[in-house]
Amino acid sequence: MTFLQLNNIQKKFGEMSVIKGVSFSAQKGEFVVFVGPSGCGKSTLLRMIAGLEDVSDGTLSIDGKDVTYEEPAKREVSMVFQSYALYPHMSVFENMAFGLRMIKLPEDQIKARVLEAARILQIEALLERKPKALSGGQRQRVAIGRSIVRNPKIFLFDEPLSNLDAELRTQMRVEIAKLHRNLGATMVYVTHDQVEAMTLADRIVVLRGGLVEQIGTPTELYDRPANTFVAGFIGSPKMNFLAATVDGVDGGSLKLSHPAFAGGSLTVASDTAGRVKTGDTIIVGMRPEHLTLDAANPVLTLALDISENLGGSTQLYTTGGGEPVTLVVPGRPSLNSGDGLNVGIDASHIYLFDAAGQALRASH
Amino acid sequence: MTRDVARQAVMRKKTIMPETTVKSPSGVNRVPNRGYGRWTPFWFLAPAVLTLLLIGIYPTIFALVTSFRRYNIARPREGFPFIGFENYASVLTDSTFWASLGTTARFYITVLPIEVMLGLCIALLLHKTGMGFLKALARVTLVVPLATTYAVVGLIGRLIFNRDFGVANQVLNTFGFDSFDWLGSPAGAFAAIAIMDIWQWTPFCALIFLAGLSMVPGEIEEAARLETSSKWALLKHVQLPYLLPGLTALLILRSADVLKLFDMVFVMTRGGPGSATDLVSIYIQRVGFRIFDLGTASAQAILLLILTIVISRLYIRILYKEVQ
Repeated sequence: MTFLQLNNIQKKFGEMSVIKGVSFSAQKGEFVVFVGPSGCGKSTLLRMIAGLEDVSDGTLSIDGKDVTYEEPAKREVSMVFQSYALYPHMSVFENMAFGLRMIKLPEDQIKARVLEAARILQIEALLERKPKALSGGQRQRVAIGRSIVRNPKIFLFDEPLSNLDAELRTQMRVEIAKLHRNLGATMVYVTHDQVEAMTLADRIVVLRGGLVEQIGTPTELYDRPANTFVAGFIGSPKMNFLAATVDGVDGGSLKLSHPAFAGGSLTVASDTAGRVKTGDTIIVGMRPEHLTLDAANPVLTLALDISENLGGSTQLYTTGGGEPVTLVVPGRPSLNSGDGLNVGIDASHIYLFDAAGQALRASH
Repeated sequence: MTRDVARQAVMRKKTIMPETTVKSPSGVNRVPNRGYGRWTPFWFLAPAVLTLLLIGIYPTIFALVTSFRRYNIARPREGFPFIGFENYASVLTDSTFWASLGTTARFYITVLPIEVMLGLCIALLLHKTGMGFLKALARVTLVVPLATTYAVVGLIGRLIFNRDFGVANQVLNTFGFDSFDWLGSPAGAFAAIAIMDIWQWTPFCALIFLAGLSMVPGEIEEAARLETSSKWALLKHVQLPYLLPGLTALLILRSADVLKLFDMVFVMTRGGPGSATDLVSIYIQRVGFRIFDLGTASAQAILLLILTIVISRLYIRILYKEVQ
């Protein structure tokens, strides 16, 4: 059942169009992540779901009810802000109880709900403290607790982890995932961090310039990106792109040429018959983690610039035919700058895009 | 903190280092004269301190000393003998003094709630989003009454409330009421000075509150909007805590100001008719400069000063809670 429905949502600030028509729907209990670079409109979209921004055009419904022009408090959504936005003059308990007091819930029920949320988030010992006496991670928990107690229809998160240090961020990420599993609540989460998107989401909405680039599960986005933007955005380090020229089309296979290819050319199986002709430019995408060293059938011939030892794996920055290519390989191969590398890749891991960046063939 | 200290240390080093290496043409090491010595701060502060001493501290001490003397400059032959607390005793038993203090209190509790409420309403209107140009214009307009001299406000008041050609009566006539002798009747005169005070000081309240409202972080206001759609709850639980420091400052300033309010009322009514607008400052002025009993007037002024300090401390004690 569709729980959250966005129908051709648009947002204009004066003459400037920020959201240019976004449609998508989420099921009850789904964890949806909006991801995209700064200024892609992901936060604006979230704030429109919350009711904090007016919708310029389109409709928005939650649980079957049109809330496009509904006041924020009546939408029964809660939001965790990047800055936590705790009320500074109230104690942790009062912060969490505020929303419940506003709907005039009996005091004993308020207490029960706050204590329950505090128990889930392990902040029972902090209930009497003021926000300024809390660490960043504790404030974040209180902000999440304030959302939980209201038992909202949808939880909204606006880059909630970006103010935390790396270790705490990982820890809170896991906790949010657990919370989602335990509460079974519908959550919409905004982040620019593709790792958060990949690990938390049931489905990811990739946004750019106010438009949806692709919607799909993390696996779908990783395996079958719709275009070079999604391919480059999902996955870390980002996908390598080589702009190759089509030398020949032969039934189900393409012969491509690029100076980085071993022997200058590469033949790939492709079902793009009719759409590609000799002389076209094709963008070949290869993920750093799919590239292997010392391959029996090398695909790329690269020269090593710099290698970074990450302990368990090594990141290699190389050049092939003047283009930078990054590899992530297991262990610590002993290599020196300038070494020539014969790099292989499984044919199923080669991504092809047309000159405009649209996917020609998704592997698998 | 420690980083700041470190940075200062580095900066200090940077500024000191060249001094030790600079050599004068004669080859003798010397510290270059950059016009900055240990007395430089003193010279920068001196004008302000001197002015404060001359027009603030000295007159206060003079008034304090005078309040313990018989000091009637109309009768210089009697000299200015020290008489202890006699002036204070006569002030405290003077029913006219108490009456004028009562009038002042009545004036205060008439104008202040209206100024605070109106100011808050204006601030909330200006705090709303949209209509940027009009709001900017309104903010500038708000400064005009503040920038107007009290005496000029009094003059404007006399014109507005003139019985024969004042705009106040014109408005009354438009709505079918008879003209009213505002400044000639006790209640009318009191209302007139109250209205002029409200006209002059509501904008000040509005600006202070507007500053307070803009201190509320946007996300906190939004968090509250997600939890309640009541504007009143938002004001009471979220915005008010940010307004309290400003409100305290406002109450203190306005208390002190009403207690010494003189020019505007003097120009409009001279304390009349009868004693309807005889505020305590008007009465003190009369004692000091009509009867020339500076001793008694000084005692009254000192009592007023003490009253102001006590009221201010009370406001701070009761209201002032810093929002962290």
